[in-house]
Amino acid sequence: MKLRTNILCLAAALAFGFAGSISAREKESGAAVDAAPPVILIRNATILTVSHGTIDKGDILIKDGKIAAVGGMLKAPADALVIDGTGQFVTPGIIDCHSHIAVDGSVNEGSVSVSSMVNIADVLDSDDISIFRDLAGGVTTANILHGSANSIGGQTIVIKLRWGQPASKLPFEGALPGIKFALGENPKRSNFRTPGAPDRYPTTRMGVEETIRSAFTEARDYKKSWDDYNKRIAGVEKNALPPRRNLKLDPLVEVLEGKRYVHAHCYREDEILMLLRVAKEFGFHVQTFQHVLEGYKVADEIAAAGSSASTFSDWWGYKAEAYDAIPYNAALMTKRGVLVSINSDDAAEATHLNQEAAKSIHYGGLTHDEALKLVTLNPAIQLGIDKRVGSIDVGKDADLAIYNHDPLSAYAVVQKTLIDGRVYFDREKDLAGRAALEKEKKDLLEKAKKKQDEEKKASAKKPEDKKAEEKKPDDKKPEEKKTEEKKPEDKPKPPQDDAGEGGAL
Amino acid sequence: MNRHSLKFLAMILATTLLGAGVCNAQSSAGDIAITHAKIFTLTGPPIQDGTVLIHDGKIAAVGAGVAVPAGAQVIDAKGLQVYPGLFDPVTQMGLSEIGAVSATVDTTETGSFNPDVTAATAILPSSAHIPVTRASGITEVIAAPASGGFDSRNATNLVGGQASTIHLAGWTAEEMLINKRAAMVVDWPGIETRSFDFSTFSNKEKTFADAKKEYDTKVNELADFVEQARHYAQALQNPGAGGFQRDVKLEAMAPVVRGEMPLLVFADKARQIRDAVEFCEKQKLKLILAGGTEAWKEKDLLRSKGVPVILKPTLAEPTEEDDAYDRLLTQPEELHAAGIKIAFGSFDNSFARRLGQNAANAVAHGLPYEEGLKAVTLYPAQMFGLDAQLGTVETGKIANLIVTNGDPLDVTTDVRYVFIKGQLTSTDNKQKALYEKYLSRPKAAR
Amino acid sequence: MSWRSVYLPLRRIVLLGVSLGLLAASAVWGQGGEPRSFAIRGAKVVPVSSAPIENATVVVSRGIITAVGTNVTIPPDAWVIDGKGLTVYPGLIDGFTDVGLAPTTSPAPVAESGARPQPAISRGPEDRPATTPWRIAADEVNPGDPRVETWRAAGFTTVISAPKGGMFPGQAAVLDLGGERAGDLVVKSPVAIPVSLQAPGGFRSYPGSVMGGIAYVRQVWLDTKWDVQAEAAYENHPRGVERPKYDRSDAALAAAFSKLAVFLIPGNTTLQIRRSLRLIDEWKLPAVLYGAQMSYDVAPEIAANRRLSVLVDLKWPEAEKDGDPELTPSLRALRFRDRAPSSPAALGKAGVKFAFYSGGIAAPKDILPAVKKSIEAGLSPDAALRALTLSPAEIFGVAETLGSIENGKIANLVVTDGDLFDKKTKVKLVFVDGRKYEVRETLRPTEPPKGDLSGKWKLSFTTPQGQEEATADLSMQPDGTLTGSVTSDHGTGSVFSGWASGEKFRFVINISIEGSSSDVVFTGTFEGTSMKGSIQAAGYNLEFTGSKPSRMAAVQAGGAQ
Repeated sequence: MKLRTNILCLAAALAFGFAGSISAREKESGAAVDAAPPVILIRNATILTVSHGTIDKGDILIKDGKIAAVGGMLKAPADALVIDGTGQFVTPGIIDCHSHIAVDGSVNEGSVSVSSMVNIADVLDSDDISIFRDLAGGVTTANILHGSANSIGGQTIVIKLRWGQPASKLPFEGALPGIKFALGENPKRSNFRTPGAPDRYPTTRMGVEETIRSAFTEARDYKKSWDDYNKRIAGVEKNALPPRRNLKLDPLVEVLEGKRYVHAHCYREDEILMLLRVAKEFGFHVQTFQHVLEGYKVADEIAAAGSSASTFSDWWGYKAEAYDAIPYNAALMTKRGVLVSINSDDAAEATHLNQEAAKSIHYGGLTHDEALKLVTLNPAIQLGIDKRVGSIDVGKDADLAIYNHDPLSAYAVVQKTLIDGRVYFDREKDLAGRAALEKEKKDLLEKAKKKQDEEKKASAKKPEDKKAEEKKPDDKKPEEKKTEEKKPEDKPKPPQDDAGEGGAL
Repeated sequence: MNRHSLKFLAMILATTLLGAGVCNAQSSAGDIAITHAKIFTLTGPPIQDGTVLIHDGKIAAVGAGVAVPAGAQVIDAKGLQVYPGLFDPVTQMGLSEIGAVSATVDTTETGSFNPDVTAATAILPSSAHIPVTRASGITEVIAAPASGGFDSRNATNLVGGQASTIHLAGWTAEEMLINKRAAMVVDWPGIETRSFDFSTFSNKEKTFADAKKEYDTKVNELADFVEQARHYAQALQNPGAGGFQRDVKLEAMAPVVRGEMPLLVFADKARQIRDAVEFCEKQKLKLILAGGTEAWKEKDLLRSKGVPVILKPTLAEPTEEDDAYDRLLTQPEELHAAGIKIAFGSFDNSFARRLGQNAANAVAHGLPYEEGLKAVTLYPAQMFGLDAQLGTVETGKIANLIVTNGDPLDVTTDVRYVFIKGQLTSTDNKQKALYEKYLSRPKAAR
Repeated sequence: MSWRSVYLPLRRIVLLGVSLGLLAASAVWGQGGEPRSFAIRGAKVVPVSSAPIENATVVVSRGIITAVGTNVTIPPDAWVIDGKGLTVYPGLIDGFTDVGLAPTTSPAPVAESGARPQPAISRGPEDRPATTPWRIAADEVNPGDPRVETWRAAGFTTVISAPKGGMFPGQAAVLDLGGERAGDLVVKSPVAIPVSLQAPGGFRSYPGSVMGGIAYVRQVWLDTKWDVQAEAAYENHPRGVERPKYDRSDAALAAAFSKLAVFLIPGNTTLQIRRSLRLIDEWKLPAVLYGAQMSYDVAPEIAANRRLSVLVDLKWPEAEKDGDPELTPSLRALRFRDRAPSSPAALGKAGVKFAFYSGGIAAPKDILPAVKKSIEAGLSPDAALRALTLSPAEIFGVAETLGSIENGKIANLVVTDGDLFDKKTKVKLVFVDGRKYEVRETLRPTEPPKGDLSGKWKLSFTTPQGQEEATADLSMQPDGTLTGSVTSDHGTGSVFSGWASGEKFRFVINISIEGSSSDVVFTGTFEGTSMKGSIQAAGYNLEFTGSKPSRMAAVQAGGAQ
């Protein structure tokens, strides 16, 4: 009996081991994924724990989606899926603190200067191939943000990159929700005008401050009206009419109550200090300054306020406010006591955040582990999820990336990425699965062409149609039907952080 | 000497010899000997413990037992490595300062045919981008007009102008020049069935037939222009008795139609690549392909016609949803295996310092290391006919060299010394200066 | 003079007039002095609510079905129709369209400069952008809509129509496709409140994103509920309280809900369907999902909400006709195109009630072939028929009187010469509210054209986005056959099925609208160098005018388009 159960478990484990590692376009059915993940043993790898140093030739035991043990010569049940980590490096899964992947439609509600009523959580797109590509870059968690078109933008959400799962299964359970603010050139539309529309207030940094102050003043009053109402119905007026709910102000009240993180896109030193001042005036906290390319100039102030910074590795020069950006930003702020992470703001950049983190060894002399923290433990702390992710410690989620080389190098290639103890990316399996996908595509195209030919024959009696046909070129490959608008333009790698094309951040 | 004192020495040299200026900070032109270095000549196996002697701007000697002449400045490079400086063959270096500020952007002229405009004219020698890029080990670049970049304003250029090769050091553009007229930029037209219309802020659609018609019209216009230029060039050589009216644009095309100046054609899609190759074959023009996102689809053609390809950054996103996630990363190896000469370009200015990183990623995905290194040194030099002067550490070549503490392609490597035209060139730049300034900011009062 | 010498020539004239009328159109109205009593005898009758009956008779009287069966007494005043070889089905129902409504009107006149007028900028949800829920389809019926005839000729007796345009376009009504005055068509109103999450604003105007659209609709529901509460409280005790503001949209929505209308929420892809399911749960409103073409992926999840019905869009995704041959569609798009027609079967299997609607189909002759595709993909013909008849009636609360052939129900019938889903089958007769409509084949009218349509015509028409222009480059043969092409902002399409006869003309082009290929039908009249008529495309029905610049002008302009 026991043997049979074991064989069944092994079969199940293998099935999940293989089904669980998803090649590029295969997605598991809901049923398969809901079943329990197998026990996994990663053996004989260099483990970069981030929290307590490096373990050479170490093992990681994963059970029920969590890290059950870390160390040398671990024992695993006979039916465990064993991943041979010889010569490989295991790190905590990368946490991208500024991402715009997995969003259906525009990442910006760019029409009004305060768009806090919109919520990224409503439009998570689990079909976005960028999820898979970022997984292939070792990313396991991402802070999905609204764009930077507004002084106060929309609500934001932290997700795990569970490729293949429906959108409802992406949010990081228990992570505090966020809201995006934007300061500087983008919300004041320095770099583009909407044709046919009058200028939108604000158009100066002064106006940006007042937009935020005005919104929070309104929110403060709104909160008071609700507090008053709650007092009244707690007392005798049980049937009092509540205030009208305002979806724009609700999240701002949450900010005032410390229940929602503020992630503020900013560049220049003066606007950083401005927001700290405004936050102090209204009694709220800025959780992270994003981009914060001049953060190094006011690092002490940021540290004193207890805010943290999430920045680029070496982007600069594309906007006036980015002209003083330096690649030493992360290291310098770290040295001055700011908690710093390095982010992508871009689906492509997110595929090599390990390399971007490494640059802080060269620019500013961070140590190997300090650099690794920039994309693992630090962003975890910034997002309030460090109890669950960000380092390889017993009890934390088994969110891991396995590299074939020290990750702090341009030569490291991700071999596997695990989330919740399940292999969501497996390079070998992806390579092996490509032929089948090609074949499926080819078969579907042929099938469609056959149908098209049959239909053409059926309607061949209309002489007028023949004329229409002549116009068509050799149409054996019909054009794809694209769905919604994405970024409107196709410039060769503009940094995502611009409002110039309207689809921006 | 340890790392810190070497760095300190470099700083002293830079500041005392050059004054307070950060830009174009080069040492005086005396002899320099780099000693005890591991030298990657790229012409053979590395020299484990060698010396490079620089004299009069050129590499005078390279080897294990090279004697150091008296009076030469000696730089002890024990534990360090010497490489040819990196060469970025497609940039907007000096042509654009802040992409979003159009007043600082001179990358792209208006109109379809601008063969006469020349990058060298608009290069800002004191651009902050130059010392920044140099500090990562890039010693020479090609500044290409109409080559994309952040603020290319949706240009409708067909012929964008002449690209110029420059050293990343010099007080004036003239001092920086390697080749004022290196190549003629052509933006191969594309077929856009869907475009974003800013005036209505909506997607506009065209049928393929219409878009193809527009494409064909543009290609024909280009062909006509080349034909005109050919006749003009002929007339130039044999002017008739009555003389003829000069035309600066057609005149600028003369070296191109004579086969002396290559066309640097920017094309990404398979159709564009194919048509560009066919066009240049028919028109008997020398072709260098830039971009090449779908070059793998036409690799047989590219190989058979011997077309070299300068690839866009490997770290970009694959263009199609169904593309393998590593499509652009494995392409360099695929093209190399097919016998195609490749180089890497940044196609930018503020990201030019990632040149090495892009090459390293290709190596991580199968391209042999030496090929990756050559693709950012020797091969671009060969493509532009400069390999007699640049691209390897060999006697007689221009002394554009870098001394590093490791692999110049990897992201954690420090570039300790940069030599351009044989002069020790500062690796200081605006960013380092800001770093140092704010590193020493006194702790802010609470 | 004997009555014969008067009557017979008169009759000839009448018949001539009638037959000319017949040739000019594809169907004829019920003749004047109409009989109100019919019997179709000896046909196969498919009631839908019960098993098909061979050799049966259906009796219709004063708009109602009065008898169905094999043993039926035919009233003496009934017009008897020989049903041999014929099949009688319940009149088909199109579950969501705007057939029968007045064409969309333009928002504002064109400015002097010719620039397209921009809709007003909305600065937030309180500006209620693109929101007109007070528009009631029942009040905007246009019996002269040419689609009434063409839909009817395809077998449809009933449509659920709502005004088009915007996020809350208006309230839908059940309309029967027959009647003289606008009110005659209305069966029930309001039945539904369609909602669109497609935010129109871009960067100009709120909302400009999908999430903006969702947030906007969410706020509207909250406001509507609050308004109801606030008004009730104010009525109870107005003194000392600030008076609540009147919001036309909220008032209209509240009223519609009080009449038990359902709201129609869109969801076509898996992502959208799941999202809409979540929103329906969140908003706790009676809802119907429309689109649903990826139901094959998520049918069990739809079924989990037992009260949820679905409207399936019959415009199956397909390749663009004029696409780039070197662009391969994505695997995802290919899978979608391949599997979409299997969605109805999947819904049926999961136990979800669903109905069909024409969606993006512009030519009603394409509707049944689209249904056939879903049958080929696994839907039983019975289920397909039900989705065209009884199910939509149930979904919109009119199943007591529509959707099946039962004694006492409204006499909406379609009579064919074979199985409804067989492509060789022709619709012979349609009964709407007991009025008989003959359907002849769309013969090419034979009257020679009165004039020459050849040349370059400048067409103007107004879409919800504003004024647009197009150029029609036509050539007409002596027998009236039209060929050529039409060019507009949406591209160029070749003319097919074009004819001119007398003063009328009709032609069809096929262009890409919003990513899918659509037939655009131009019908109208012309005289000399001017023309006018209507354009039907992608569910829109627009009026257009056209003029042909004189020969001289054309030559001077170089004839360039």
